[in-house]
Amino acid sequence: MTDSASQTQLKTKRQPAVEQTVATRSTRRGAFMRAIEGYLYIAPTLIVLMAFVFIPIVSAFRLSLNRAAPFGSGTRFVGLENYQRLLDNMFNLGGISNALIPILVVLGVGVGLAGIASVRRKEPILSYRGYYQGLIGLSVLILIWAVTDGALLTSLIFTVGTVIPGIALSVVLAIALSIPVRYFSWSHRLLIFVPIVISSAVTGVLFRWIYHPVVGYINYMLTFVGIDGPNWLSDADWALIAVMGAVVWRQLGFNVIIALAGLQNINSTFYEAAKVDGANFWDRVRHVTIPLLSPTLFFLFIINTINSLQVFGEIDTLTQGGPGQATRTLLYDIYFLAFRGTPQRGIASAESFLLFVLIVLLSIIQFRVANRRVHYQ
Amino acid sequence: MTAIEREQSQEKREVTSPVDLRTEIFVQFLLFTIGLIISFPIILAILTSFKVPEDIVNYPPTLLPRQQETVVVPGYEDPLRLVTVTLEDGTQRELAQISREGGQLQLVDPANPEETLSASPSAAVPVQRIHFTLENYITAWTAQPFGRYFLNSVIQTGIIVAFQLLFSILAAYAFAVLRFPGRNLMFYLILGSLMVPFQLTFIPNFVFVSNLGLANTYAGLTLPFLASAFGVFLLRQFFMGIPRELYEAAMLDGANSWTYLWRIMVPLSRGAISAFTIFAFLSAWSQYLWPLVITNEVDMRTIQIGVRFFLFDQERGADWGGIMAGAVIALVPTLLIFLVAQRQLVRGIAMTGLKG
Repeated sequence: MTDSASQTQLKTKRQPAVEQTVATRSTRRGAFMRAIEGYLYIAPTLIVLMAFVFIPIVSAFRLSLNRAAPFGSGTRFVGLENYQRLLDNMFNLGGISNALIPILVVLGVGVGLAGIASVRRKEPILSYRGYYQGLIGLSVLILIWAVTDGALLTSLIFTVGTVIPGIALSVVLAIALSIPVRYFSWSHRLLIFVPIVISSAVTGVLFRWIYHPVVGYINYMLTFVGIDGPNWLSDADWALIAVMGAVVWRQLGFNVIIALAGLQNINSTFYEAAKVDGANFWDRVRHVTIPLLSPTLFFLFIINTINSLQVFGEIDTLTQGGPGQATRTLLYDIYFLAFRGTPQRGIASAESFLLFVLIVLLSIIQFRVANRRVHYQ
Repeated sequence: MTAIEREQSQEKREVTSPVDLRTEIFVQFLLFTIGLIISFPIILAILTSFKVPEDIVNYPPTLLPRQQETVVVPGYEDPLRLVTVTLEDGTQRELAQISREGGQLQLVDPANPEETLSASPSAAVPVQRIHFTLENYITAWTAQPFGRYFLNSVIQTGIIVAFQLLFSILAAYAFAVLRFPGRNLMFYLILGSLMVPFQLTFIPNFVFVSNLGLANTYAGLTLPFLASAFGVFLLRQFFMGIPRELYEAAMLDGANSWTYLWRIMVPLSRGAISAFTIFAFLSAWSQYLWPLVITNEVDMRTIQIGVRFFLFDQERGADWGGIMAGAVIALVPTLLIFLVAQRQLVRGIAMTGLKG
């Protein structure tokens, strides 16, 4: 503090001199030298990012237009055929007919309920705008669910199944951690945050042990409530859930830290006001904490969705995409196609491009939806 | 934290109602239980890594490493297992087990080797004591080149962190202090690289690095990660907080921009630089996909990949003690960093919203 004060003094004393130097330096020769200097400083970063981020985007696209030629090395140009094949694998348009009945049920019941409410409350039936938007959103979700197939569907389930429980859990933990206690507040945090430093490979190994069908602790704990636990990792019905559990665990510390920071930014006068109005703990959580935390929640949604689509280590160490293809998400599928057995880098690159587009699209959708729903203080 | 902030936070604490003793005890209990559940996989792995093989597959599982107590009885060559036997009259005795024949245990009293008796196995409970063994670490270190894996990880992480630091400091300085045409454009270009997911670039990068002949080399392991857009962003934010007058003054005193960076900016930014170092270390140490595809020689595996192959090594598939020892070796450096720099790490995450 004292430092910067003395610097300000320094500046005021030497003001004219500074202006003078700036003037001499802004000659054309000086400007040219300064440009060179600036670019020299950023050159190392720029070169590395060019070579390993920007140029590979183009190369990935080029790779995706080719396919490994049968019988021998080398590739042949196939145009957009890889994309065609991928879309065929990822979407099952026949699923539309399966989605029709659930969608009709949702819309029918939804509109019916709105009708009953409008008669009872004597309000026009069309006045529940947000409610209808919700119904349409739900229908679209059902439709997406029904028509996606293969690795895309696995990724979708995996993402929903890690992001939503992960954020819900982290908000609960953050609320618990924000209760002021006199002692040990930092050691609780230590125990809850520690997974942030654990790598994905180690997470996989730790959970393989926890999920062990015979001597694993999860199944051991389940015997106390009389449940005979499944063989988590080799049962196709449970493997994806087991992997989700491990991923939620690894990302929990990060989510709690962000949620806690968000909670601490909420001005305590809101709580005081709510208390004066007679709100109990749950009322305060519902009507003060959650709305005011929504910018943070929105941020967590984006970050977690993108992270979940990029999970690799846990899947590789826990299930390697199996049993069958039960845990083969998009990224694992890409790795599998490109590096296992006969490398099919063309189709793998096409898939990585689709994943890229998906990530960008999701960010845009989340941004637009959240922009309308998020409350800022 | 400045003095004002500290004062404010104290004020805040007073405003939020002070908890009474009952709430305090309840919350303490709740948080501690949650904390233990969350860190349980790590605690379990550490404890398991010190267990002897028989103990690991014991059911029901126990937390602390135990070992069967044995006793040397005169007249018997091998040490005998010690068991606690409940006799028919209800008394309990510690006896040594000689053999198991026809569903009956043959037992001997270690204090009196003449006295042998038999009992049904259901009446006998093995005597165990808590025992930490280093056996698993020795197997991990010898059965697999875990020393080499560890060294590879140290070298790989060291190279990545050093270069990311150097390159990020240089670029962040240029973006924060120097003025040159195209500065903003270049900054957004670098920031934009954060949007490009690694899974899009890793296949072309693999093809490129292999074609350079760098697969299975440290250069191949580290090249794609020598620069960090996150680091440039983080350090630029910090550098911009340093008053520009300082730069003008230094220039007048005859410094050039190079000496100003290293003599003034870097020492003033020690906090931000060390925070970035921690992030860079954690993410480099934890790398998985790239080391997995770019190495296929055992001697070039990093510790993460070593643990993975140790896990899948079919011959040793069931050696959970060794696997846990490997995992503990892989997580100890990051755990140490966490214990030493947790506050800094947590503050860094809360401030930037990024994990590196």
